[in-house]
Amino acid sequence: MKPIRVLIAKPGLDGHDRGALIIAQALRDHGMEVIYTGLRQSAVQIARAAVQEDVDVVGLSSLSGAHKSLFPKVVEALAAENASDIPVIGGGVIPPEDIPYLEEKGVTKIFTSGSPTDAIAVYIKQMMNHEIRTAPKKIAHIGIAVESLEMALPFYQDTLGLQLEAVEEVDSEMVRVAFFPIGDTRLELLEPTMEDSPIKKFIDKRGEGIHHIALEVDDISKRLHQYREEGISLIHNEPKQGAHDSQIAFIHPKAASGVMYELCQPKKED
Amino acid sequence: MTDNQSGNEKWKSEVDKIKQRFPERKERFNTSSDLTVQGLYTPDQSRSYEKDLGYPGQFPYTRGIQPTMYRSRYWTMRQYAGFGSAGETNERFRYLLKQGQTGLSVAFDLPTQIGYDSDDPMAEGEVGKVGVAIDTLEDMEVLFDRIPLNEVSTSMTINAPASILLAMYIAVGEKQGVKPEQLTGTIQNDILKEYIARGTYIYPPKPSMRLITDIFAYCQENLPKFNTISISGYHIREAGSTAVQEVAFTIANGIAYVDAAIEAGLEVDQFAPRLAFFFNAHNQFFEEAAKFRAARRIWAKIMKDQYQAENPKSWKMRFHTQTGGSTLTAQQPDNNIVRVTLQALAAVMGGTQSLHTNSRDEALALPTEDSARIALRTQQIIAQESGVADTVDPLGGSYYVEALTDGIENEVNEYLERIKKMGGAVQAVEDGYMQREIHQAAYDAQKRIESNEDIVVGLNDYKLDEEIHPDLLRVDEQLEANQVERTQKVRKSRDQNEADKCLKRLRQAAVENNNVMPHIVDAVKAYATVGEIANVLREEFGEYAGM
Repeated sequence: MKPIRVLIAKPGLDGHDRGALIIAQALRDHGMEVIYTGLRQSAVQIARAAVQEDVDVVGLSSLSGAHKSLFPKVVEALAAENASDIPVIGGGVIPPEDIPYLEEKGVTKIFTSGSPTDAIAVYIKQMMNHEIRTAPKKIAHIGIAVESLEMALPFYQDTLGLQLEAVEEVDSEMVRVAFFPIGDTRLELLEPTMEDSPIKKFIDKRGEGIHHIALEVDDISKRLHQYREEGISLIHNEPKQGAHDSQIAFIHPKAASGVMYELCQPKKED
Repeated sequence: MTDNQSGNEKWKSEVDKIKQRFPERKERFNTSSDLTVQGLYTPDQSRSYEKDLGYPGQFPYTRGIQPTMYRSRYWTMRQYAGFGSAGETNERFRYLLKQGQTGLSVAFDLPTQIGYDSDDPMAEGEVGKVGVAIDTLEDMEVLFDRIPLNEVSTSMTINAPASILLAMYIAVGEKQGVKPEQLTGTIQNDILKEYIARGTYIYPPKPSMRLITDIFAYCQENLPKFNTISISGYHIREAGSTAVQEVAFTIANGIAYVDAAIEAGLEVDQFAPRLAFFFNAHNQFFEEAAKFRAARRIWAKIMKDQYQAENPKSWKMRFHTQTGGSTLTAQQPDNNIVRVTLQALAAVMGGTQSLHTNSRDEALALPTEDSARIALRTQQIIAQESGVADTVDPLGGSYYVEALTDGIENEVNEYLERIKKMGGAVQAVEDGYMQREIHQAAYDAQKRIESNEDIVVGLNDYKLDEEIHPDLLRVDEQLEANQVERTQKVRKSRDQNEADKCLKRLRQAAVENNNVMPHIVDAVKAYATVGEIANVLREEFGEYAGM
């Protein structure tokens, strides 16, 4: 398994980095990869560094009393970079009564003065493991490759009596898709629109049939990152645009006994 | 002699016997600097009293820089204070003076220390947090309102923009009718340790060193009683160094400043008497007391032997001490009062010239008024009730303390030799050498605590089930907005033409390598802001990017 990556950052003007440096080294000693930003980082700089360095967690340190203003700004800046899935933890000279406020503002955890470095490392490891084990929410759909929608539709509509919800063309995948809601999920019939569509290649090689199973998740970037780190074979390393403004990515069939799984994160309701 | 030896041998064999039944608590006892601590110290005939110790007020000053030390006058009780607005800090200052404090020490907020005005985007969230926010001369006037500058000495913890705050102090004095030559106090002005340990640098090392020598030259002419620099080991120690590293890196920096001043054409005996030092008083009582004694002796030898200074004032290391902030625990904060007492006692045993005692709640926030008063009372009790100030260097001649003093001196000299070979302190800082050494020591100390090899009461042993949460000082959230408004009002009401002209002349002096100090004095009098002045120099000198 690939190591957990951590960004240790000093937001604001505070120059006391003894704690930040000790944490950085302690986490390294625990096998993590740690990037230290150096002093005087703005919230935006920290968020960008977190995204660029592709970290799993951001650790903030402030001893100047500015934590109530600075820590929530980093959480906001991460959201602006579409990286809300990266948890933010913090430490420094922080009075205990400030902790509920910081947690409410999206800081995952505050470690106050005197926290052992081992406890912080263990916390991060647990947080990462815990998220890996979060099960996908449901089967979003089952994708079925068909030569022609026209030929296939009667079985689903007439024989099974399913309601056709919509037919949509997904240019990026070079397919036309018919959606049939069933229970809490859907069947999707996929018809290739071009010669070099992946669905066409699938049919040529294996014939018509079940192409993939899509699993709904709410942390697609994080999950892909974790899978990458664990060496899981992926077809897409980064999320891409799917139908209905969702974000999708495929896991390679060789990772799952020949079944191709799709991760699918629906568009957030505003 | 034979009697002694047989006594010694008898003792040793008894120790061996006892150890078999009652083993000692540790395999090896050692100090923070990893000097081995023997079970017993005995007279060491290789030490010469006259040469190695001498009398107080005499070279090499091991026993103190004055002949009578605290029998004439106690150390200056100088509590570092500052938070929020100039008005609030002025109130705290006058409270502390009324409680018997004998000198002032100003804590500035981070934007001021890094040359940003309170309305600069970089200042957001930091205004008035770790110290007082000063943007313009008007703030400084409020800060010293009803405090006569000819009667009080003021220490200012200000480094990269030291020249700006010193200029403001001069201007406030003039407004009070006090001439610059009457002003007494200290500016920290020690940029090298900012790169090493404290982080409030602005400009790269070279122009920063030039600003420092500009101040030396200006003060030599105009403020002869002012300490132009406080070469600080305090923050190096706070960053995690050992006692030996604290002294070694501080003295290495001191050597760099002396070299820079000589290079700038100043005479050693002209500026060296105004150099001051600033150390930490940590937990290990004897090592700390010995550290101060060793530091004095090392500096005296360097100034006399290496730099051939002739004025004895150039040989004397005068220093301020602050108890160790990083030794305080957030857990059971009242225990910190005891830690501070022991540390303060070590500083007094070491012959400090002035002292700040930390408040019990500083691991959690800035001190409340109650906590600050207890801290001051701690010094007053040591001075008035313990009797330790009634004779000079009471630990002098202790076999153990003298052995520690020698041991620290030797280890420091080894570091100094190493740094010299690297090309001096400025080069060593740029290479990150000191930073690495300090970090390693800090990490080792942390590991010793986490493995319970070192016990910190209330932290990794003797814990309470339910932690105590004292009332803390909160800086008013409204303060930042008020300060921004204040500064913008000053900018609107001043003579803009005059301010612009002064800043232009300052820029010219910076470029043409003329002393910038007189121009900074003019600029602050024209109500140019700290940020505006610092920015002119930023544009000409560039900014230090960090390691």
